[in-house]
Amino acid sequence: MTLGCRPPFDRPGLLMTDHAVLATARQVLLVVVVAIQLGLTLPALVTHDHAPAAWVAFALLAAVLALVSGSVAAGRAELPAALALPGAAAALTSSFLATTALPGGASFGPADWAFGLVGWYLLLLLAERPKILATALGAHIAFSIAWFLHDGNGDAGTAGVVVLSGTSVQLGALVIIRVLVRDARLAAQAATEHDAARTREELARQREQDLRTGFAGQLGAVLPLLADLADEVVSAGDEATRLRCSVAAVQLRRLFAENDDVPDPLLHELTACVDVAERRGVVVSLAVSGVATPVPTEVRRELVAPMARALAVADGRAKVSLLRTPDEVRVAVVTQASGALPDQDAPASVAVETSVHGGLVRSEARWRTT
Amino acid sequence: MADDVTAVVVDDHPVVRAGVAHWLSTSEPPITLVAQGDHAEVAWTGPGTAAQVVVLDLHLGGSTPALPALRRLVEDGRNVVVYSMRADDETALQCMEIGALSYLTKSEGADHLVQAVRAAAAGQSYTPPALAGALAGDRSETRPALSPRETEVLVEWFQSESKEFVAQRLNITLSTVNSHLERIRVKYAAIGRQAPTKAALVARAVQDGLIGLDDL
Repeated sequence: MTLGCRPPFDRPGLLMTDHAVLATARQVLLVVVVAIQLGLTLPALVTHDHAPAAWVAFALLAAVLALVSGSVAAGRAELPAALALPGAAAALTSSFLATTALPGGASFGPADWAFGLVGWYLLLLLAERPKILATALGAHIAFSIAWFLHDGNGDAGTAGVVVLSGTSVQLGALVIIRVLVRDARLAAQAATEHDAARTREELARQREQDLRTGFAGQLGAVLPLLADLADEVVSAGDEATRLRCSVAAVQLRRLFAENDDVPDPLLHELTACVDVAERRGVVVSLAVSGVATPVPTEVRRELVAPMARALAVADGRAKVSLLRTPDEVRVAVVTQASGALPDQDAPASVAVETSVHGGLVRSEARWRTT
Repeated sequence: MADDVTAVVVDDHPVVRAGVAHWLSTSEPPITLVAQGDHAEVAWTGPGTAAQVVVLDLHLGGSTPALPALRRLVEDGRNVVVYSMRADDETALQCMEIGALSYLTKSEGADHLVQAVRAAAAGQSYTPPALAGALAGDRSETRPALSPRETEVLVEWFQSESKEFVAQRLNITLSTVNSHLERIRVKYAAIGRQAPTKAALVARAVQDGLIGLDDL
């Protein structure tokens, strides 16, 4: 276990975990310290003959306790350095005052009220600063032992038991806090990773579904036609079926062109549709005017659709034009067409007008850019 | 329109000169080609000087368009039909601005070329569909204000390449379609620098009552 080095956390979740563990630990320590100070040390202080400095030490510790309680009551889990470090210094000072105020030979005996209490104070103040805590605790114990040796009247066996038992309980508490912090952090990290994996999984699933439905939507007349052909509801020999195939071919070709990365996607899709019509033997002339403007995919689809349908039924000649004026994009087709134009869904964002004059069919889709 | 229309063809490709010569000579009535060559000089030296119309290829053996040659011809008061392989609007509008009477792309067939040459011989403009598209898509600051009807004629002509179709669609006569196109060209001729051909075009339109001075 690495007590001293905290991994750099960049995730708020982990900070929250540390926060929760430390908050609980500090509340427990606070109860322990209050119980010890009032329940155990106060009687020892009163019943034994201490120098007056002992009361100063007691008051100093009580003051530190009040400050820490205030901080905890304010909802702060971690003690700010401005409180923790002076607090620790005050606790060490108390240790010095209380130890030097002891009656002769009383070190580690029943009269030595401060030794265990100061250790708990240091733990309370420095729980999140293990290195400083170890140093301060070491100094506290070293001074207490030094005073004990300097005094020279005590029982070494009793002293050893007191030092070891008191210190080991405090160190044990510290180890438990750090282990809890580490485990909570690992658990939070695992939970975060699990959540991220779930999110990624959900996103991938959503994307696949979007692709599926989007593609099905764009396939337009293709899927029903394939289904009809497969079910033998329609025959490929029928003129009407061939017309549907022709429309479907143009739609598919346009769809393939839709996601190509080209500077002028609208013109690219128009060209793709023209290409299919030319393969059918239609002589198509394509005229383009105006500069390319960005057109959303949905609008492109609607702009191209009427012209694609007209081209699908065209025979002979056709003129396709793309005009981009300052405030409009207009896609028009004028064809000689004998067959009826296939039905078409009402477009949402473009205006479509189809008319027949003297054997020529004109179909135009207009989209206002402004 | 006079029967004896004469023209000079400037193009660096012999096959294009031969093709244009054939189209012009076989039109009815025939247009006489008095000179041809691969440099604009043929239009202002020798027999070419007398030709009523200059059919000028904009790309004579180089990547830069022959705009200086066009400018010189226009300043000399010659009627120029620009015949270009480039279909970009900007070049077309630039040629109009300089004062060419028509701008045709080589993908536009014999019909349009013959009509453009005949119109130019009479000092009139001719707006083929591609040029109509360029005018309709014009985004320049200086473009003239066109009426909604004029714009519609321009667009429909660009889209259908058939004036009969435009007339039927808009329920107007063929000559009204033509006069709308002429008015548009006059409005364009009236903007920018004045060239003799442009001034003549505007003056004629005003005299014919095609356009009022207020419209300019």
